[in-house]
Order: sequence, then structure tokens, then C-alpha cells
Amino acid sequence: MPGQSAHFISALPLTSQPLPYLTFLGRAGFSGFPSPAQDYEPCTLDLNTRLVKNPTATFYVTATGDSMEGWGIFEGDLLIVDRSIEPRLGHILIAMLEGEALIKRYALYRGSPHLCSSHPNYPPLLLEGSDCQLWGVVRAVVHEYLR
Amino acid sequence: MIGLVDANNFYVSCERVFQPKLEGRPVGVMSNNDGCVIARSTELKALDIPMGTPAFKLEGLRQRGEIHLLSSNYELYGDMSARLAQLLRDACPAVAPYSIDEMFVYLEGFTTAQCAALGQRLRQLIRRHLGLPVCVGLAPTHTLAKLANHLAKQDPRYQGVCLLNGQDHTTEALLKRTAVGSVWGVGHRLAERLAIGGVTTAWDLRESDKKQLRKGFSVVLARTALELRGTPCMEMNALEQPRQRIMTSRSFGQPTGVFAEVHNALRRHAQRSAEKLREQQSLARAVMVFLNTNRHRRDQLQYFPQALIPLPSPSDDTRVILDAVRQGLEQIYRPRYRFMKAGVMLLDLVDAEQHQLSLLHPPTRNRHPFLMATVDQINQRMGQGTISFGMTNAPAAWQLRCAHRSDRYTTRWDELMKVGTHPGATQACTSRTEPLP
Repeated sequence: MPGQSAHFISALPLTSQPLPYLTFLGRAGFSGFPSPAQDYEPCTLDLNTRLVKNPTATFYVTATGDSMEGWGIFEGDLLIVDRSIEPRLGHILIAMLEGEALIKRYALYRGSPHLCSSHPNYPPLLLEGSDCQLWGVVRAVVHEYLR
Repeated sequence: MIGLVDANNFYVSCERVFQPKLEGRPVGVMSNNDGCVIARSTELKALDIPMGTPAFKLEGLRQRGEIHLLSSNYELYGDMSARLAQLLRDACPAVAPYSIDEMFVYLEGFTTAQCAALGQRLRQLIRRHLGLPVCVGLAPTHTLAKLANHLAKQDPRYQGVCLLNGQDHTTEALLKRTAVGSVWGVGHRLAERLAIGGVTTAWDLRESDKKQLRKGFSVVLARTALELRGTPCMEMNALEQPRQRIMTSRSFGQPTGVFAEVHNALRRHAQRSAEKLREQQSLARAVMVFLNTNRHRRDQLQYFPQALIPLPSPSDDTRVILDAVRQGLEQIYRPRYRFMKAGVMLLDLVDAEQHQLSLLHPPTRNRHPFLMATVDQINQRMGQGTISFGMTNAPAAWQLRCAHRSDRYTTRWDELMKVGTHPGATQACTSRTEPLP
């Protein structure tokens, strides 16, 4: 079968994932001129390959609340959470705190790692000594204007 | 080496990934239609609530908030199981799912130390990427790997990974304190017969004379004894089916991508599985359908989907199972793939006799026992497949009772986990939406 590239084989689809969109590699016709695009293998862009690097460890969640608006996360936004990423300072995380999942930014505050929000009502939370657990790292936010 | 990766309290663990408040709490998952408890967290086991306890008996505890009871959320469990299988396929040379929460991995060419390290790595990877706790048993044979896994679960000192090389003192000590009835494939009748001959522990069985085992019992038992010595002599398909699941799968003679061909194969497997189910007098609560492409053909598109369909009530009716198989196939079938293998697994089995006692949800079984028995008899006498079922009609919409089902976090866009930007944000959100009718 033409049109299969190694690319698709490595990105194994899961039942929960929409399947990669396959493009048909054909000639313009049986006779006549070959398509001028023939030498440029088309590979229609697929958001999955850009936003979902590790399908088995990627989960989608919905954001609620307004205290991360400063970082571009609004009520009802879709978050793409990749659990395989090692968290680093500056990342936005899903953290488990006292049985509740929270969206926070992992950042330095007064020289030590804190979980921060962008709202003055919620002061940064010192990580050291808290029983906070990492759930996943937010890879991207999808803010839909039309639904 | 062969590894057995087995998730701890799989259904409950899946729920906890998305409901962190359930961590450390006694949690039970109920069967379809919220009949009885089919999965328990460690904390619920500690309360001495046995498997199969009818849900109504626990209603008081639930209302007082002492325990959490959830309806089974098969879509979630099925998706997490598919992720687990995929993660293992990415990390190991070969993988064979054995049930929804148990998978064999084959580590040929690895040294013992490498196997032990990989076991730990898999365990950490699964915990981090999927949020699921698992234990890993490693050994030269399937039978020992199963025992190693059991030991890893029982004894916290192993930190979830136990390796038995078949010859060392650990193996010997373990086999000496393992009752022969707990060895894979040794049922409780067989254990009684063995006990008469003085064989009571797994070690006794291992040291028994092979020829006598073959003569007095069966070839399979002689092989089990060899497996306990660390000599691999059982293919996975030859292993005794655990009582909790029945699997029928086969490779196609010729890989195929045609829906009708795949469907036909699955229908055959479904009918065979249903026969096995009736033979052991069980009823199934859920049906899993899976397809595999040829993983050795790197030049072809790869796809290893599976779908899990819960049944409206526990059933051994071939027609009900065929309907579920068709639904499952429609969910996962995609054209353009060349499928190599297809299979049907019946899950969460329950004893037919025991289930008859349920008054609230009379089993559908009563309506057809003679039909099914007749079909089985004819097929036994005249050969497999003499009578089979034609196309069944589209099933009526199945309305499962699932008053306490959690959201289907990984398979439905409108049921994603809600995460707040500050403490209490999710509660504020639900209380805002709740008053609507």
C-alpha cells in the first residue's frame, strides 16, 4: 500500500483516540500529466501528532474556576494533560492536594518551589512539607470560541 | 524470562485515578445493575466484606459514608486496560494480554538482573503514566510467574516485583508453603486427589515423579510439575482458564481487513466461548472483543484495539453474547488495517447457581436453558459448529442500572474529569449546575 510512512507506525492509535487521517497518494489520472505535487508526499496536518506526544499517558480534563486566567486558562477550557512529562519550573501542572485535583503553576516564589495561581486570593503554596502529589503536566490548553 | 504484570484491585484503581478522594478509603465496585460487589479495595477487604455481597446489604454503610460503592464503569476499565497493554507493548519485546488486568510479557535474551530492573521500571512507568498500581512476577515459566506475582502482592518487602529463577532458596521456600491447590491449573478436586498421595504443597508436586503424574493424573499435571521446576513447557493458550474469564482467540489463516470476515471469526469465537461458559455453569457480566494486526510487519499499519461491552444482566445466552460482540466490533473496526488475530473474552463470571438466588434481577437464563442445552448437545454429538446462530437482530437499547457510575473520563467528551484552579472550584461548579432538572 503506498502512502504508508514510518510516521504512522510509530504513532499507534488507541481505541480512545481518533485514528490518524490517511491521505490518498494517487496520480492525477491514468494517462496524461502526472500531478505536479506527486513528488511532495502530502501529509495532512493532524493536531493529534502535535498535541498528543504520548497517547497512552495523555488524558483530557476540563478546567473550572477563574484563578488561572492570568496564565490563559478559562472556565470550561479543555486541558491536554501528559502524565509522561517530568515537571519543570514554569510548567502548569495538575496536582492532587487533600483529595482534590488542582491546576497550578509550578514556579519559584521567594527562592523555593511553590504551586502558584494567577489570582491574588490564592497565595502560592509551599511544596516542601505538603502532601501534594503530581497527577500530570498540562501540555496544552484548548480554548474553543465556537462550540 | 516471562513476566506477569497484574494490576492491584484494577477496577477500584481505575476509579481512584480520576477520583483522588477515594484514595485510602474502602471502595467497592458493583456488578451490572448494581447487584453485588465484584471488586474491592484493600480497605474494603479489611472490613470483611466478601466478594459477591449483595449491594442492598451495604446500603446502610454507604449512606453513612463509611464505604463508597460505585456502579461498574466498563468503558473506563476497558480504556485503561488498552492503555496498559499499549504501554507494555512499547516497553517489552512481546506482550500477551491474559485478562483485563493481567498481561504476560516475554523477555527473551534479557539477563536476570535486566529482568528485575525492567520489572521495577515497568511498575514505576505504569504508576506514573497511568496512575495504576501493579505487581510484577518474573520467572522462567508461566506457572512460576503467576506464583511470583502472587508473592509480590502478598509481601510488601518485594516492593511489587518478585523474581523467581526456579532454582534458588526463595523458590524452594515459596513452593514449600504454597498449597498445591493454589498452583495454576490445579483445581480443588485435583488437589484433594493429590493429597491422598501425600502431595499437599507445590514443592511436593514439583518433586513428584513425572511418569506417575502422567499415568495417575494427566499430561497437563506432569507439565505443571515441570513448569514448577523452571522448565517452560506450556503455551499460554494451554493454560487452565481462570474461573473468572474465558477467552477464545485465533489467528486468521490469511490476514484480513474485511468486516464480514472479521465478524464471522468473532462470531465463531463468541459461540465457542459461550459453550465453555455453560460447560462450567457460569454467567458472564461483560464481553471483550479484541483485534490485532501483525506486529512483526513493520511495513503495515499497526492497530491493537479492544472494546468492552457490559451485558444487561449476567448471561450465558449465545445470542446476547453475539449481540455484544457485534457492538464491540462496530466500535473498534476500522478499514485499511489487515487483522491477524481476533478474540472474544468473557469477563467477571459468576456462578449460575448462585446467581439464581437474585430476586431483584432474575437472570435472562431462565428463558432459554433448553434451547442452549440442545444446541450444545447437538454440537457435542455431531461436531463443533453443526448448529450455529444466524444473524441476530439489532439489540434493544440496553438500559443498565448504574445509579453510582462515575464519569467515563477517557471515552466521552462531556464526562471529562473536572479540575479546579483553586480549592473548592469544582464543588462550586457542580452546585451551580445541579439545580437544573
